[in-house]
Amino acid sequence: MGIFISRRILTAILCIFAALCLNFIIIHAAPGDPVRILVGQDNPSPEVIEALTIKYGLDQPQYVQFFRYVGNLLRGDMGTSIYTGEPVSLMILRRMGPTALLALTAAVLAMVIGTAFGIFSGRRVGSKVDSAIGSISYLFDAMPGFWLGLMLILIFASSLHILPTAGMVDVRADHEGFLRALDILRHMALPVTTLTLTLIPYYMRISRAAVVQALGEDFITTLRAAGMPESKIYRTYVFRNAILPTITVFGIQMAYLVTGSAIVEIVFSWPGMGSFVMTAISRRDYPLLMGIYFILSISVAVMMIAVDLLYSAMDPRIRHTGVKE
Amino acid sequence: MKRVAAVKKMRERLRHLPQLRIGGIMLAFLLFVVIFAPLLAPYDPYALSDNMVEAPNFRHPLGTDGLGRDVLSMLIYGARTSLMVGGAAALIAAVIGVFLGGVAGFFGKKIGSVIGEAINVFMMMPTFFLILIVVALFGSGITKVMLVIGLTTWVGNAKLMRAQAMSLRERVFVRAAESVGESKLSILFWHIIPNGIYPIVANTTMGVASAILTESSLAFLGLGDPNVISWGQIIQSGKSYLVDGWWICAFGGLSIIYTVITFYLLGDGLNIMLSPKLASVQNAGKRT
Repeated sequence: MGIFISRRILTAILCIFAALCLNFIIIHAAPGDPVRILVGQDNPSPEVIEALTIKYGLDQPQYVQFFRYVGNLLRGDMGTSIYTGEPVSLMILRRMGPTALLALTAAVLAMVIGTAFGIFSGRRVGSKVDSAIGSISYLFDAMPGFWLGLMLILIFASSLHILPTAGMVDVRADHEGFLRALDILRHMALPVTTLTLTLIPYYMRISRAAVVQALGEDFITTLRAAGMPESKIYRTYVFRNAILPTITVFGIQMAYLVTGSAIVEIVFSWPGMGSFVMTAISRRDYPLLMGIYFILSISVAVMMIAVDLLYSAMDPRIRHTGVKE
Repeated sequence: MKRVAAVKKMRERLRHLPQLRIGGIMLAFLLFVVIFAPLLAPYDPYALSDNMVEAPNFRHPLGTDGLGRDVLSMLIYGARTSLMVGGAAALIAAVIGVFLGGVAGFFGKKIGSVIGEAINVFMMMPTFFLILIVVALFGSGITKVMLVIGLTTWVGNAKLMRAQAMSLRERVFVRAAESVGESKLSILFWHIIPNGIYPIVANTTMGVASAILTESSLAFLGLGDPNVISWGQIIQSGKSYLVDGWWICAFGGLSIIYTVITFYLLGDGLNIMLSPKLASVQNAGKRT
């Protein structure tokens, strides 16, 4: 177990470091000068450019910039935004909340609904209901999230006028307390529905496959032969097997939801990380982009380890194969 | 004689795999559209006209967009872009994945574990964000988009190929080739890869679908190639006319869904056909 954990952590650290290097190389090799964009004039004076270049350390050799960057990161300093001058960590933190709210709600809903449908469908494998549910999930799996979002806006906001299309709160109303929470909930309805619908197929497919596989196991046949009631077989043996892989998917999904929800956030002008990434890109705000990427790689790496540990704690077989590998 | 039996067996399998049959028909239609695009499109997809945001009618079966372009013609030409990007990106990912995975699985402990670890590391990278940054910063020509998607999505293929190579290297025919003195590289290319490539074929088919989705997302974010018509771009341009011209977005999305489902079905079918184990799991379920 110890070897397994330390191996995973080592891989994660390697991964974060690799992500850092890649990130640094890509951003610094990119054409386009952030200082010129910052100054914003067609013919800025050379003095201003020089002063700004020195201020942000862009005159130093690349490797010096890299080591300085890594050193600062280790001290918890992610630098300041070239554009606004605010600390990057603060800016990201402010945007994390809305994204987490959106992503977490959608992930939990999708897990519950998707697993329920998967088990339902797996129990009736090969039947008409099973293939009907399967076809619908195929459809949602193939649907681009941004398109689904636009269609929902078209139906619920533009035609029926029952839900807001953009933002997180109604700026004009200026609600407080409970009313504010209600307002956020109303604004969440469409983006959460969009995300949930696109995520459900994953959970469904996996839990369905797990149920089908569990049903094929010999011990189920034995239990049946021994006369155990069908409902008890499902409750105690089949469902447990079906829920296990779902948890893994949930963890992995959580890590990627920060990026996965980005495009849906943009469709609904949700004030989260998604639109933030786009602004950072268009402003060529290097420290901000690198900060976002760093946070993202860390969250993916941490989630992966958490999933592995959780999984190995629940299923001893994984532990052994993990060590052998 | 043997050939006839093989064909018969193939047919028998196809009968049990509606995914492959339906997917094949859908793909045939798609290829037909792509090949005969200039004959099928009623208008020049780039031609602007004064009939802006016109609802579907006899002259424009799927309406016109904000610049007066015929939506149907744009969709027909967009199919070319999608299939080209999807196919090329998936192929690049397949080649890299097969090669790296094969080397990692077949070559001894040292090289194998180094590449294996690299695969693990790459697996944890947030791919879409990486693609987004690269395309945004380096420009978004269609070739670049294909390359970037291909270069970042090979990991799944590499994992599959690695597992295949690891089990194949213990097989008798590989051992035999080794003892005869064939070089490692030639064994890799002549024995390991040809015998282990099946799961990658299925995975690559799925990869076409996800590359098409990625390309359309990029185009929707305004990061696509502005000189080439693509479905994501049509949806992006239609976003501003969502209320008055729903058809621009709606049909663009439906085209994406159709194509992605085509490749999902094919991938699914190939997966079951090429790995008997999966088929038996399915049948095991059916018995109950």
